[in-house]
Amino acid sequence: MNTKPFASRPSGRTVLVARVADGLWHALEDDLVVGRGHVGRRPDGRLFVSIDAWHDAAFDRLAEAMLAALPAPLYTLVDEADAELASRWQHVGFTVRRREWDLTVPTDPSSTGLEAILPPPGVTVVPVGEADEGLLRALDRAIREEVGAGPGWQSMPAEVLSRPEGVTIVDPSRYAVAAAPDRYLGLVRLVTATRQPRIGLIAVRADQQRRGIARALLAHVLGTLNDRGIAAASAEVDESNEAALALFEGIGSRRMSRNLELAR
Amino acid sequence: MTKRPDAIEVEGRVVECLRSAMFTVELENGHKVLAHISGKMRKNYIRILPEDRVLVELTPYDLTRGRITFRYRN
Repeated sequence: MNTKPFASRPSGRTVLVARVADGLWHALEDDLVVGRGHVGRRPDGRLFVSIDAWHDAAFDRLAEAMLAALPAPLYTLVDEADAELASRWQHVGFTVRRREWDLTVPTDPSSTGLEAILPPPGVTVVPVGEADEGLLRALDRAIREEVGAGPGWQSMPAEVLSRPEGVTIVDPSRYAVAAAPDRYLGLVRLVTATRQPRIGLIAVRADQQRRGIARALLAHVLGTLNDRGIAAASAEVDESNEAALALFEGIGSRRMSRNLELAR
Repeated sequence: MTKRPDAIEVEGRVVECLRSAMFTVELENGHKVLAHISGKMRKNYIRILPEDRVLVELTPYDLTRGRITFRYRN
């Protein structure tokens, strides 16, 4: 733990910054904690920082101390509507790397229009938690290689990026898959631990796209949620991923907010 | 370096999600404050919805504004 204070006096304020624990910094003014900075590593290996400060001087001092102590690249996430916070990050050298829409996805078939949607001939949907782990991992590897060969790799969300040890599926029980007799063709990852479940990833092998497999997977998982009395799920979609936006908005999803991912 | 307890932390209930990344939270004493979600929660994709019970840290500079630092499981 580094308790060496990091002091300065911008705008007439005296703010001290100290690293009080692994991954945690405090900004102090008149012995009050007026800001906190955190850093954490995502499963894909990237370092994400956040700063919560009560005034600009505390933010700037925390940023100064954290950026001096942490290796680049660093990432952070800001609601685009919070223009003041985005401006503070840009002021210390961060730039917008990508934008993603935060969507609310209805589950009621009368809203989604997915009531009569079935998988294409020869394809079945394996419910969440029942997928064969070996076939699921093979599908995940194939999709990641296809994404990696295309232009979208650098802007894909955390779920698709390589993890340090090459482990790409942490919890097989969270996936439903579209299956052919000999292999899996597509997957959807669903996190149901919260009041509003989250669709973390939906993907189909490149040679199987435009067959309605993704819509069939959504019809299955959303229908299951609706049967359990859950009215909506959430999803994040990169704004450059027009196909995914069209898929979600075609079933009645609403754009709620937009997140900025900034990097330095 | 020693620090005395600083922020005022109170429990509340989210009554409204506003368009500007802010939330109206009704505190246990009935007062309503304007709060935003903490950066730590945002980077962990923790969502706040109406009716959620949350912990709010009030700024020492303005007791009508705060920061949501924790969402309780309902």
